[in-house]
Amino acid sequence: MKNNKWIVLFTLLMSIVLLAACSYGGGDETSTQSAEGEGEQAAEGEPQSGGSVSIPIVADPTFNPWHPNAYAESNVVNRVLFSGLTQTGEDLEPIPDLATEWETSEDELEWTFHLRDDVLWHDGEQFTAEDVAFTFNEIVLNEALGANNTSYFQMLQEVQVVDDYTVKFIMDSPVAALPAYLSFNTEIIPQHIFEGQDPWDLTSFNKENPVGTGAFKLKSYTSGQSVVLERNDDFYGDIALLDEVEYKVLADANTHVAQLLSGELSIFALDDLSAIDRIESAENVTVEARETPRFFWIIANQEVEKYQDVRVRQAILHSIDRQNIIDTVLKGYGTIADAGIAPALADYYTDDVTRYEYDPERAKELLAEAGWEDTDGDGIVDKDGEPFTIDFEIGIQGDLEAVSQMVQQYLLSTGFDVNLNAMEWNSMIQDVVVNRDYEMSLNWWRYPADPDLSAYMHSNSVAGNNIPAYQNPELDALLEAGAQTSDIEERKEIYIEAQQFMSEELPYIFLWYPQEAQVRVNSLQGVPDLAFGDALHHIHKWYIEE
Amino acid sequence: MLRFLVNRLGQSMILLLIVTIITFFLINLAPGGPSSTMRMDATAEERQAMVENLGLDQPVLVRYVDWITNAVQGDLGVSFNTSEPVTQRILERLPYTIELTVFTIIISVLLGIFLGVLSAIKRGKAQDHVINFFSVIGLSVPAFWLGLMLILLFSINLGWLPSSGVGSRGGEFNLWGYVSHLILPVLILTTTVLPNIVRFTRSSMLEVISQNYIRTARAKGAKESIVLYVHALRNSLIPIITIIGMLIPRLLSGAVITEAIFGWTGIGTLIIEAARGRDYPLVMGVTVVITVVVVVCNLLVDILYSRVDPRVKNV
Repeated sequence: MKNNKWIVLFTLLMSIVLLAACSYGGGDETSTQSAEGEGEQAAEGEPQSGGSVSIPIVADPTFNPWHPNAYAESNVVNRVLFSGLTQTGEDLEPIPDLATEWETSEDELEWTFHLRDDVLWHDGEQFTAEDVAFTFNEIVLNEALGANNTSYFQMLQEVQVVDDYTVKFIMDSPVAALPAYLSFNTEIIPQHIFEGQDPWDLTSFNKENPVGTGAFKLKSYTSGQSVVLERNDDFYGDIALLDEVEYKVLADANTHVAQLLSGELSIFALDDLSAIDRIESAENVTVEARETPRFFWIIANQEVEKYQDVRVRQAILHSIDRQNIIDTVLKGYGTIADAGIAPALADYYTDDVTRYEYDPERAKELLAEAGWEDTDGDGIVDKDGEPFTIDFEIGIQGDLEAVSQMVQQYLLSTGFDVNLNAMEWNSMIQDVVVNRDYEMSLNWWRYPADPDLSAYMHSNSVAGNNIPAYQNPELDALLEAGAQTSDIEERKEIYIEAQQFMSEELPYIFLWYPQEAQVRVNSLQGVPDLAFGDALHHIHKWYIEE
Repeated sequence: MLRFLVNRLGQSMILLLIVTIITFFLINLAPGGPSSTMRMDATAEERQAMVENLGLDQPVLVRYVDWITNAVQGDLGVSFNTSEPVTQRILERLPYTIELTVFTIIISVLLGIFLGVLSAIKRGKAQDHVINFFSVIGLSVPAFWLGLMLILLFSINLGWLPSSGVGSRGGEFNLWGYVSHLILPVLILTTTVLPNIVRFTRSSMLEVISQNYIRTARAKGAKESIVLYVHALRNSLIPIITIIGMLIPRLLSGAVITEAIFGWTGIGTLIIEAARGRDYPLVMGVTVVITVVVVVCNLLVDILYSRVDPRVKNV
């Protein structure tokens, strides 16, 4: 009896607590797949208007594509809010967006872009050539700002306004990839808002109320929770079918998978493939392998003498069973790379390059040729009494650690003494990228849909993204020739030769071209066969099927 | 009493100062810099421009003096990674953590005292063993593991509860939408503090029950329920106030893990964000706020203690 009284009292208190919660002002649960096409009677399979999609992002976005804090989580939002002069087409070639057509002068030093005259900013202002000139001249070319992605525009001198709807890009030297660069996180921002402001401190725009030209405009944003975009009915292109696009801020990758399976998320590119089996077996979800312009690499610091010998780099590559890593860690989502131009760039990619089979014996032979042999029988190769030790520094992110551990084992069995140091990302950047104080590292590059890899391996880029500090006049000449030729056939030949050169010389120790595991709920249709980031350019075609 | 307060406040100020110095130098001396200077593909010039924009080209000592000068005037600076005032970012997130903490404390205290008393009066019996058993389990199981398991069970397999988030706030109120998002995080946080309260109540109650005045109460013929709930419980509750005060800091640190797992947008997720992005002003701001909360809680416990128990004199 005594106990019962307490239980009654306790229950009473609990109900008071719950009732108290009512007055707190909560909200209802989000249902993300709600696909009410109000009164739509679309036939099955036909695109229908209405509904919304939910996309995960790992942190709060910055609504300014040029802001130094605009990372991947911002890119996927900005690509939908804003528009660039060009966009990535379904074959990865640049197609018109704000620009309707473009041509270059004879010497390819002047590019003329003709702009649409029917584009309105989300606040109703007219978009003109002035906005383009402002974005490039005042933001991108202002070195003191340190804007994102300026490395693509190092050859850009200035942007001239010809008339309200025509601009001219004046280059220092020809850049055939310019239209491709203009489709890659280089969206135009409004002059009428940024004029005279500090573009990074303008939080009323960057964090609160962005004004773009894209197919969707901002509806609401709650820091740490979500960004909701709604259809822009004044959009200059095809009006989007979806009512809303919701980006949910969810830092944890396990949560992404959980919410996908429970239908709370609609589409994203899966980074951590360890859950892929569970996703593939789920009935409401589809997984597609998408090619992306990316390559994974090991870099061996060319400032360190022992890595300058190409035979050592080749031996490292022969030591690693890359297919096994692809099959186990990447669950098959990738193809072996022996050069840097990914199969996603179908026009330029070739597999007619020097191949490096998994062949530890060949690796040992190459090392012996280079003077490295195991003379004291301790399993580690040595030269002049010095064992071959490798300091292998990587940042902890995605599957980099798992991959590196396998690489370490492979290299150990060939006879390298590898010290793997998996460190927090920021510290790795400090050591490897900023201070260049490293011997070997493993990571990946993602680049715009153009085969010009000068930024990563030209000797001019040693202070930039040529982190291995590889310098070779022959490769430089090939990269320059490719960068300066707009003729596709001619470019193809140059880049095939460049790939063969890369595979022979290994400026990077190429690992694989990863495929993106794109996961999506079955009710979401109309997504083109592109990597998730590129498919966002076509979000106006996405629709929800009941 | 006044002298005690002045003393304690003085001590708290010194403590706060030491905490800020340690934190400031630790975070500034850690390798790497703010995210804006730490993009994989940023060029050396882009990095340099950002370092100068953020004032990081100044020596650490100069930056600390600048920071503390502004901080004592109530200005915690501007977040490196969002350019928003730090105070604003903290105030945005703080209510969510308070919400989680308040629900957890209410549930833990009610349930904890109930179970603790039950365990004490049924000492050595089945109820006592069951309660003890689960207390030990609750103390031993790591919160992150239990959290993931509960998500697996309730969100994925059963589909009853949302796996993360705070639900959509601000729209029309929906009781289930509100409560369903709270259940799992509050449950996890409760498991980190409930066993402490249960065990503390139990031992405190046992101690009181063996006192002479309880025997006197029984001897004078008071009903057993009166003896337990009026004479014993009231007196055994005094030390429990202390433990609740001590559990609040623990709840705040538990919130970091719990919030991360459940995507709960409170101070816990904010501090992770700040530390990972090397957002120095934000790290400092959150540290100051949490230190103040902990210090104030301890102070309140001390004051409350002397109020409840006349034998304790803070002189």
